[in-house]
Amino acid sequence: MSASKSAKRPKSLGRKIFDVLAGYHIAVICFVLLFLLTFYGTIEQSWIGLYQAIEKYFDIDSFLVIPRNSSDKVIGPPLPGAYWVIVVLSINMFLGGIIRIRKGWKKAGVLVTHFAILFMLISGAVESLGKKEGMMLVFQGEKSDYAQSYHDETIEVFAYDENGDRTAPVVVSSEELGSLKESDTLTVSAEELPFEMKVTGYLGASEMRMSANAPGAGKVVDGFALNAVERDKTEEMNMAGCYVSIIKDGAEVQELLLWSANQQPVSFNVSGTRYGILLTKKVWPMPFEVELHKTVGEYYPGTRKPSWFQSDITKVADGDRTDYEIVMNDPMRHGGFTLFQARWDEPEGRPYSGFAIVKNPSDRWPEYAIYVAAISMGLHFIFMLGLYVLRSSRPSKKTAS
Amino acid sequence: MKPTPAQPLSDQSSTMALRWGLVIVFLILEFALITFAIKESIPNDEVRKISGYQPWSEKVVETASQIPVQDGGRVKPFSTYARFQLLSLHGTVSIEIESGGKKRKINPTEWLLDCLFRPELADQLPVFRVDNTDIIKGMGIKVAERRDRFSFSDIGPGYDQIMERGQKLTMESEDRKLKPDEKQLTEFAQQILNYQALTSALDFAREGMRIDPESIPGGVADKSEFQSFSYWVKAFPQVRAAVQRAAAENGGQIPESLRGTLRTMEEYIAKTRFGLNWIPPYDDSKEWRPLGRTITDLIEGRSEQWEPTIADLKTLEELVPLADQPNSEAFLKSLTAWQKDLSKRTDTRGETQLAPDGSPLYSKPVSEKIASEVTYYEKRYFQKGRVFFVIAFVFSMIGWLVTKPLPSKIMQRLTAFVFVVALYYLVSGIISRSLVMSRPPVGNLYDTIPFITAGAVVILGLAELITRRKLLLSLACFLGMAGLFLAFRFEYGDAKDNMDPLVAVLNSNYWLATHVVIVTLGYSGGLVACFLSQVYVHLRLAGVIEKNKSFQRFVTRAVYGIVCFTLLFSLVGTVLGGVWANDSWGRFWGWDPKENGALLIVLWSLTILHARLAGWMSDWGIHLACIFGGMIVAFSWWHVNMLEVGLHSYGFIKGGEMIWLFYIAEAIALIVGAVAYFLHRADKKA
Repeated sequence: MSASKSAKRPKSLGRKIFDVLAGYHIAVICFVLLFLLTFYGTIEQSWIGLYQAIEKYFDIDSFLVIPRNSSDKVIGPPLPGAYWVIVVLSINMFLGGIIRIRKGWKKAGVLVTHFAILFMLISGAVESLGKKEGMMLVFQGEKSDYAQSYHDETIEVFAYDENGDRTAPVVVSSEELGSLKESDTLTVSAEELPFEMKVTGYLGASEMRMSANAPGAGKVVDGFALNAVERDKTEEMNMAGCYVSIIKDGAEVQELLLWSANQQPVSFNVSGTRYGILLTKKVWPMPFEVELHKTVGEYYPGTRKPSWFQSDITKVADGDRTDYEIVMNDPMRHGGFTLFQARWDEPEGRPYSGFAIVKNPSDRWPEYAIYVAAISMGLHFIFMLGLYVLRSSRPSKKTAS
Repeated sequence: MKPTPAQPLSDQSSTMALRWGLVIVFLILEFALITFAIKESIPNDEVRKISGYQPWSEKVVETASQIPVQDGGRVKPFSTYARFQLLSLHGTVSIEIESGGKKRKINPTEWLLDCLFRPELADQLPVFRVDNTDIIKGMGIKVAERRDRFSFSDIGPGYDQIMERGQKLTMESEDRKLKPDEKQLTEFAQQILNYQALTSALDFAREGMRIDPESIPGGVADKSEFQSFSYWVKAFPQVRAAVQRAAAENGGQIPESLRGTLRTMEEYIAKTRFGLNWIPPYDDSKEWRPLGRTITDLIEGRSEQWEPTIADLKTLEELVPLADQPNSEAFLKSLTAWQKDLSKRTDTRGETQLAPDGSPLYSKPVSEKIASEVTYYEKRYFQKGRVFFVIAFVFSMIGWLVTKPLPSKIMQRLTAFVFVVALYYLVSGIISRSLVMSRPPVGNLYDTIPFITAGAVVILGLAELITRRKLLLSLACFLGMAGLFLAFRFEYGDAKDNMDPLVAVLNSNYWLATHVVIVTLGYSGGLVACFLSQVYVHLRLAGVIEKNKSFQRFVTRAVYGIVCFTLLFSLVGTVLGGVWANDSWGRFWGWDPKENGALLIVLWSLTILHARLAGWMSDWGIHLACIFGGMIVAFSWWHVNMLEVGLHSYGFIKGGEMIWLFYIAEAIALIVGAVAYFLHRADKKA
């Protein structure tokens, strides 16, 4: 009765918009789009690698995606970026799966499941916006208080003091460098530096070769030249490179070649002061120090298959010392930071641990969400199955009678 | 509510001939595809005549199979080692030969015994499977077919060329990606070297030092001792001193007789540097090493274990000649003593594999563990299960063809009985493997096959119990049969011991028992829905259920329910995988192919359920979507491993071109569905 009344009443524009946004159709379109994006984003990893595929398909900055194969031919329809499809899906789920859904025992499981999944999607968004990660390498018996980014390059310039020690560096940020193309020029000046720097010929994936062995390569500096190479599928393997001109009073004092595989600073002198410059992965200072007492890496006998990794560390923060034993699947968690054993090796008998360090504000949220979703969805399906069995047994009783 | 009136037969009769014609065409296509898949994977199997082949006695084989061997990071039975060595070379676990007018099959343990104790016979066995004989063309080797098998003797004329080219290509592979045929040749060369490492491992005990008796100085009481390798290893410190002395006295010149002896020693040390690791270390090191490397350590001063090394060499020198009479009591006795000694030494060492918390994984002595593994392979659970599923499927088909109630009921009961027997073997096999591996049942790609099969079969079995429509039981029998056939083909094609330990990060019984088990059950659900929908579209195309609306509704509801099951298990399993990744790698979701594959199943299931609610998907739509869903499951389960990219590097597989045949089969099923739908529409209009 009320339904017929409401059917006669014309819907307001707001209601119509709400109905569309909360409708199943939007949900289905989002699922299909996400399906296509996930599919193309997976197969395209075969030729562009994981990192670039994530940037292309799933990153917040990705608005339109055109799937391509290894020969750069279009292999699928243009699609919206996955991040924004998930945003629309989240709105749809909130409006349709939580607000509009009929409330009652029958739908309780679905309601709670939608809530849990929405919470999971939100945790994903929080992660993609607020997560920081890097790698801390520590040799046994040594300590470290910083991690380095996996991909972001920076240029550090510093002066050496009278003892030959480095002073606080001036840093050219990864944001400035990351957007550079080979033909671009970036001019950098800082109050702390009595000179300007011009960064040119920036290459995200490069090799440094002796000029004699690299005919046709870029500019030659001190007998070496940078050569662009094909981007490796594993982003960490790509070595950036660039040329830096040191300019003092409008005149070029020196031209330098920087290559990120070379972790020794390149030195130069300006006005009698010795400076060092380095193209290196972005440094992420930690609010604590890690002392690595012992690191153990074992392989199954006769193989190179890892069987056991362990690092015994002490975390020093504000004078407090806490001991941890980090093993696979059992990281150290402290103050929003998580330290995982990600690498182990023993070059020249010196064992070291590579700790992946992650700061993720939504670290455990998906875990809580999935437990809730599993229980609610499971109960809902069991309930529906029970109803089906009950219904299908009724006619047979009638027939029997 | 009024029941829908049945359509008159004449309405459909015009299309019935077309329908059945199409069904037959599609069935022939699908059958051809399966036949092609099977034929493609089986090489030419000629029965080779081997003169004078004397089989090993059962007792010898039984004793040898229990010898502990370290391989792939764990201690395993001799028989398991032999099985996977033979599989990697031969592609099957038996070699068929004819000897003395009788045909017989040589099993892996017998073959390895031949390699070690009777290499002259082993060299005649057609053990090398070459899938592309073009790689050895023009090398003087007689080639019959493109895919063929060869004995080591057959390869003889081209041996040098294969080795030379293999070595060259291996060096080149560091600078460039090898072409498929070049890769095949390097692999073939490596296989030959592996084989030779086995056949020459006991040459020292078989051939002795080959010293001319005349050259042995007078006064030596036991001249035969001079012929033994162990004698010279023991005497090596003195020999070294004598060599140094002789060199000093003769201006660097070593007497020819001594030089010859040293050359022979060097040859035997080189021959025993690779191959079987069946002697536990004498110290507490974990790695078992071939004798050649142990002897090298002794003479280079890195080890002081002279006594036990000499003792083992002597034991082998006594054992090997006895194999001339392979079924003699003396050989059996010596072999048994050798096996017992090795097992005892293994148990004494407390050889074990550690759990992540550092505690031993095995509570039993290793020799007992080895015995359980030997029993597991001897019981052939999955092979028997496959046979019973085939029988159950045949019974169920007969049940569908029989129209009289009593025979039909009898066939149904028989089907159910044989199905339960088949399921017993399948589940027993999974449990036995799990016990032998001391971990949950799924840890690698091979494990997933019987487990997903069991999942699918149990889902259908339970649904059959609820619905009692016969159809689900028939499908369960078919999937059991197909799944175990796939397990068999994968094991043979992959030729890797899938019980070997897992990489450190996977070694978590909690996550293996939760994430992996749950997500693979999701795969089971997806495949069940896919095959049930295939049955539906084939039956609709044939027109046999056009009038039976209740049956149509039943199948659609069953499929819908299974999609719900798939969604629940895939979603929970996938997210638990993310939680595990967060614990291990510090990120919940990395868009890695393996994760994305599982997500695709979740998204597709969600699409089906929500499109149904949106009114965008009819019964036909659900079935066609579920058939497509089968392709997604195959992509997620198999194909992503072939992309060789991402963080799940331990799951990569090579080859696997068979997946394309599955996609083609599913595409045919989709066409069947589409044709059936249009015929249905045409009939309705008519």
